[in-house]
Amino acid sequence: MIEVLDLRKTFYDRKKGEVPAVRGISFTCQPGRVFGLLGRNGAGKTTTLRMLATILVPTSGTARIEGFDVNERPGEVRRRIGYLSGDTKLYDRLTGRELLQYFGALAGMPGPAVTARIHDLEGTFGLAEFLEKRVGKMSTGMKQRLSLARVVLHDPPVLIFDEPTSGLDVMGARDVLRIVQDLRSRGRTIIFSTHIMTEAERICDEIAIIERGSILAHGTVDALCSKNGGCSLEDLFVKTVEEVGVGV
Amino acid sequence: MGSRIWAVWRKELRDALRDGRTIVAVFVVPFVLYPGLMLFMGWIESQNKKEESSLRVRVGIVGEAELPQAAERMRATPGVEVVPLTRVPDSMEQAGVDAVLTVPSAVRASIARGDSVKVELLYRDADHKSSAADGKMKPVLDDIRRALTVEWARSRGAAAEQPPAIVVEDRDVSSKAEMGRFMAALLIPYLLVFMVAAGSMHLAIDATTGEKERSTLETLLATSTPRSQLVLGKCLAVITAALTAGFIGIFGLWFNFNVLAAAMPALSSQSLQLSIRPDQALFIFVTVLPTAVFLGATLVAIGCFARSMREGQTYATYVYMASVFLGLGSFRQLGSPPIQRFAIPILNTALLQREILTDTVIPMHATVAIGTSAVMAAAMLVIATRLFSNESVLFRT
Repeated sequence: MIEVLDLRKTFYDRKKGEVPAVRGISFTCQPGRVFGLLGRNGAGKTTTLRMLATILVPTSGTARIEGFDVNERPGEVRRRIGYLSGDTKLYDRLTGRELLQYFGALAGMPGPAVTARIHDLEGTFGLAEFLEKRVGKMSTGMKQRLSLARVVLHDPPVLIFDEPTSGLDVMGARDVLRIVQDLRSRGRTIIFSTHIMTEAERICDEIAIIERGSILAHGTVDALCSKNGGCSLEDLFVKTVEEVGVGV
Repeated sequence: MGSRIWAVWRKELRDALRDGRTIVAVFVVPFVLYPGLMLFMGWIESQNKKEESSLRVRVGIVGEAELPQAAERMRATPGVEVVPLTRVPDSMEQAGVDAVLTVPSAVRASIARGDSVKVELLYRDADHKSSAADGKMKPVLDDIRRALTVEWARSRGAAAEQPPAIVVEDRDVSSKAEMGRFMAALLIPYLLVFMVAAGSMHLAIDATTGEKERSTLETLLATSTPRSQLVLGKCLAVITAALTAGFIGIFGLWFNFNVLAAAMPALSSQSLQLSIRPDQALFIFVTVLPTAVFLGATLVAIGCFARSMREGQTYATYVYMASVFLGLGSFRQLGSPPIQRFAIPILNTALLQREILTDTVIPMHATVAIGTSAVMAAAMLVIATRLFSNESVLFRT
C-alpha cells in the first residue's frame, strides 16, 4: 500500500531561486490496484515517483510504503519497491543474466535464490532467447522486458512505473501493459505515470491528474468521466488542465 | 553487507574488463607504453652519444703561433678540425666555427715571469654542435694546462723533459646491480604514483558519472543497497584497477629492462637490473595502498560531482597532473627529506617508497606517511559517500 501525505518538493535554481515541483499532494494506492498519475511533461509526476522511490528527499510532507516512512526508513522502503522509469537504461556491457544477478545481489538475495528466480522469470518475460546476450546488443523490446524482470526480481509488493512505455513501439508497449495487469492480478500495489490517456484508460483503476505539482482531479476513470458529462479521459484531462488557466 | 559491496565491485570490474579503454589504461599503457618509451628514450640517448662521438666540429684557434703544441694536440683529436683565426670572431656562425680557443699573446714570456695566463675555449651551450665541440676539447684543455705548467717549471730550472703523466679523473665504480637499485629507487616511486593515478582515472569516472550519463543511476539508487555500500564497492573496484596498473607497470619495467633489453642486443647497453626484494615489494604495496584508496576515492568523489563524462574526465585530468607533479617531487630529492614532506599526500608515498628501496626507512617517516595517507583516504571516502548521497549533487544540471 502507498500513502502519500501532503508531499512537497522544491528545487533551488541559481537563476530562478526556489522552484516548487510538487505542491502538497496526497493520495492512497491500494494493493491489487493500479493508480495512474496523469500529467503533462514537467507536471511533477517524475519528482513524485522519485520521492516515493526514495531517490529524492521530500522538502516536506511524507509518504508511507507498506507502512514505512520514506523519510525515516528509506532502506525499508527500497526493499519493498520495484522502480522503473522509461528513461532509465541498463548496463550495456553485461549480459541479461549478469544484470539480473547484479540487481539480485543488490536486493540482498542469496545467489541460489537469484538463480531460481531468474529461471522463473525466463518464462514470464520471455527472457530465454536473450538472457546470455549483452544488453548493448539487445533490441529495445528485449531491454524493456529485461528491465521489467529486474523490477520484479526481488518480488516487491509495490511497483513504481514512471512512463514505462516511453520510446516503445506498439508491441513493446502492449507487452509492458500486459505485465502490469498481470502484476495487479497478483495483488501488487502499482503506481503508473503516463501522459498517454489510452494507456491510463486501459489499465488504471484510479487516476490523479497532476499539473504544476498539484493534483487537480482524483478518482476512478468512470467516476471522473461521468461527473464531466461522460466525456473521454482525454477531454477530461484537457478540460481539467485548462481550468487552472494553463494552455495545453 | 559485505556481499553487496563485493557485488558492486564484481560488476564494476566485469564492466571495466569489457571496456577497451580500461584495458588500455590498466594493462597496455603500464606494461608496454611507459617502460617501452623509457627503453626507447634510453636507446635514443645512446644513439645520440654515438653520433656525438663521430661528429666533426670546427674549432678556431687565435694565437696558434704562441702555443703550437695546442694546435697540434687539437689536430690529433678525432673529429676536430682546426681553423686558424687572427682574432675572436664576432659571430661563430659567420666565421664557420663551433668553438674558439684563444691563446693570449706572449704567453711564454708571461709564464716565465710567473704571471697568470688565461687560455679560453669559447663555445655556446645553447648550440648542440658547439657543446659537442666543448666536450671534444676537454682533454685538449687538460693537455694545454699541463703543457703550460711544464713550461713554467722549466722556466724555473726544473728538469722536466719527461714529465710524469698526472691523471686526475672521476670514475663511477657503481656495479650494474647498484645502479639498478639506484634507478629502481629513483623511478619506481614516481612511476607507481602516476600509473596508479592513470589506472584509476577512467574506471572512477565511468563508474560514477557514467551512471548519470547512461541513465542507470536512478535504478541503482532505488535498490535497497545503502549508498555508502554502493560507493565503497565502486571505490574498491577503482582501487583494484589502480593497484593492478601499478603492479603491471612495475612488472613491465622489469620485463622491458631485464628480459626484453637482454634479448635485444641493440637495447642491451641500456638495460638495468631493476631488482626489488620480496620484503621491499610487500612494503611498497602496503605504502601504495592508502594512496590508491585516496586517489580512488578522490576520483570517485569527482565522478559523483561531475555532470557529464567530459566534465568528469577534465577534473580527473587535473588530479592526474597533480599526482604526476607531486610524484616528481621525489625524483630530485637528495638525502633525507624533512618530516613535513611526509604529510603531503602522494609525495609522502613516493618518498617513503624511495626509502624502502634504498633500505633507509626512518620509522617516523613511515608512520607519518602511512598515517596521513590513511586519514586522507578515509576523509575522501566520507566525502565521496556524502556526494553520492546528495541529490542536489547527483541531479544537478
